[in-house]
Amino acid sequence: MGWGPRSLARHPLRTALSLAGIAVAAAMLLDMVMLSGGLERSFADLMLTRGFQIRVTPAGTLPFDADATIAGAGGLRDTLRADPRVAVAGAVLGASLHARRGDSVVTLFAYGVEPEAQGIYQLESGRDLAPGDSAGLLLSQPAAAILHARPGDQVTLAASLDPGTAGARAERTFVVRGMVRWLYDYRGQRSIGLPLATLQAMTGRAAEDRVSLLMVKVRPGADAGLVARSFRERHPRVAANSVADLVAAFRVRMLYFRQLAWILGTVSLLVTILLVTTLLTITVNERLGEIVTLRAIGVSRAHVVRQVMAEGLALTLLGALLGAALGLVTARYLDAILTSFPGLPAAFSFFVPRPDAIALAGAALLVTGTLAGIYPAWRAAGAPIAATLRAEAT
Amino acid sequence: MSVVLADGVTRDYRMSGGVVHALRGVTLAVEPGEYVAIAGPSGSGKSTLLQLLGGIDAPTSGHVEIEGTRLDALGDRALTRLRLLRLGFIFQRFHLLPVLTALENVELPMAEAGTPRGERRERARALLDYVGLLERASHRPVELSGGEMQRVAIARALANRPALVLADEPTGELDAATGAGILALFRRLSADGTTLVVVTHDERLAAEAGRVVHMLDGRLRD
Repeated sequence: MGWGPRSLARHPLRTALSLAGIAVAAAMLLDMVMLSGGLERSFADLMLTRGFQIRVTPAGTLPFDADATIAGAGGLRDTLRADPRVAVAGAVLGASLHARRGDSVVTLFAYGVEPEAQGIYQLESGRDLAPGDSAGLLLSQPAAAILHARPGDQVTLAASLDPGTAGARAERTFVVRGMVRWLYDYRGQRSIGLPLATLQAMTGRAAEDRVSLLMVKVRPGADAGLVARSFRERHPRVAANSVADLVAAFRVRMLYFRQLAWILGTVSLLVTILLVTTLLTITVNERLGEIVTLRAIGVSRAHVVRQVMAEGLALTLLGALLGAALGLVTARYLDAILTSFPGLPAAFSFFVPRPDAIALAGAALLVTGTLAGIYPAWRAAGAPIAATLRAEAT
Repeated sequence: MSVVLADGVTRDYRMSGGVVHALRGVTLAVEPGEYVAIAGPSGSGKSTLLQLLGGIDAPTSGHVEIEGTRLDALGDRALTRLRLLRLGFIFQRFHLLPVLTALENVELPMAEAGTPRGERRERARALLDYVGLLERASHRPVELSGGEMQRVAIARALANRPALVLADEPTGELDAATGAGILALFRRLSADGTTLVVVTHDERLAAEAGRVVHMLDGRLRD
């Protein structure tokens, strides 16, 4: 290692404080870079968790909104399945159900699913619903906790309960088959799953065959965007979108997040430049006598420039390494806070630690460290030798 | 051919109060193997002359030659290279790099000159041995006394086998006993054939020189 980077050890406290400042700025930069692309990436990953590339939803609203459903789901599903480009199409209905727990009533969010064509849960333990198993029930961990139920237990559910008389309508008893993780649940959501037809019957939606959404998986090589567009053109009363369409719409909606991330990231880079430049300028000024002595004994300007810039780069790289660790820790903490907002899927992430994001932040810092060294290096290499030695001697 | 020749050099400084004439037409030639002391009171222009002889400052008029090469004909890069390879400098305040060991400080000019690592390490050790500091080779300047630091600076000045060694008040920061040790070292350098030009207030050091030139008000007195 040359004398430039080694000079950082001359004032350990000053160097440590500068490193801390650079680390904080680098952490902020990394977090902002992760945030700028993370939302979009996380959204796309979440939508594609089980490989379903198309969503058919009620036009003008979101799936699982209270009364927003699509009528005639069977016909739409059959149309989709008839398309040779479609591999799987399944429907999901969302509705509220109630269970008695002692003398209180527990309200649960129920998914009516078609287990053979579902893209909204992953089995964690027990077994899935079998075809024709109209009494089977799936539970999320929060639902199991509130019901004190586990696979094999019986749970009685009702579509509505009169709070005055506690009289139930459409009450049925189910057997818990398995524990599942619902992909789009928010944290702590008490969700259960039962066969689609059963939930439709319990909630009075069987007659019109209403569902909240349809999910479609296309065959390998098929263009999900084209499949969605052709379906949309034939069925204008519903919204059919590929995940790519949804991600594009999401990107537009999240534009302000990305802008904020870029602004804060740029600020952190400027802070890093100012910190490194200030520190290097101070240390160069302090060592000007030594530096011009080196020039006097024949050390080239290029050598001086290299050493001062290497000092800046070493400082930046050390700060960046500390900042990377700090950034990952703070990203996790911030992510936990942000994803606890009601209505946001727990599996959603704001900060996604991707290698390309880390590499981008690292490259930006590398450039920053180089830029920050330019002025102090120019000052060091350009100091007048004789005048500086005269000033040193007095 | 003279090792160094200053031919009618003047050096003016523009200050807020007007122009200061630090040197007023000095001519001085130093021959190979000579040991020349430049003596004179403060402000007489000794250090300015040394800086001109060493190519770290340029005269206002006149010119300086090193081994027949006019310094005013050289660009910054060539002049820096000439200082590296043909001149050795010793300063009053030593100016060693505090983050390098004594050995690394001596190696530095050789590394800049492109001397292979093994060769320069061997020579740096030999030079530290020459100035009596081999056992302190791994020490940093902060762990050395003033006299020891000046010995390391002398070893550094000799690193690239210079044609001329220039020393500016080399005993100025040292006590009498330590300064005597440096005097002995200069005596030895001269005896070994090194061409030396030393600026000094120290009458003992001047007395060691083969030739003493006195300066007053920017001129040589004799």
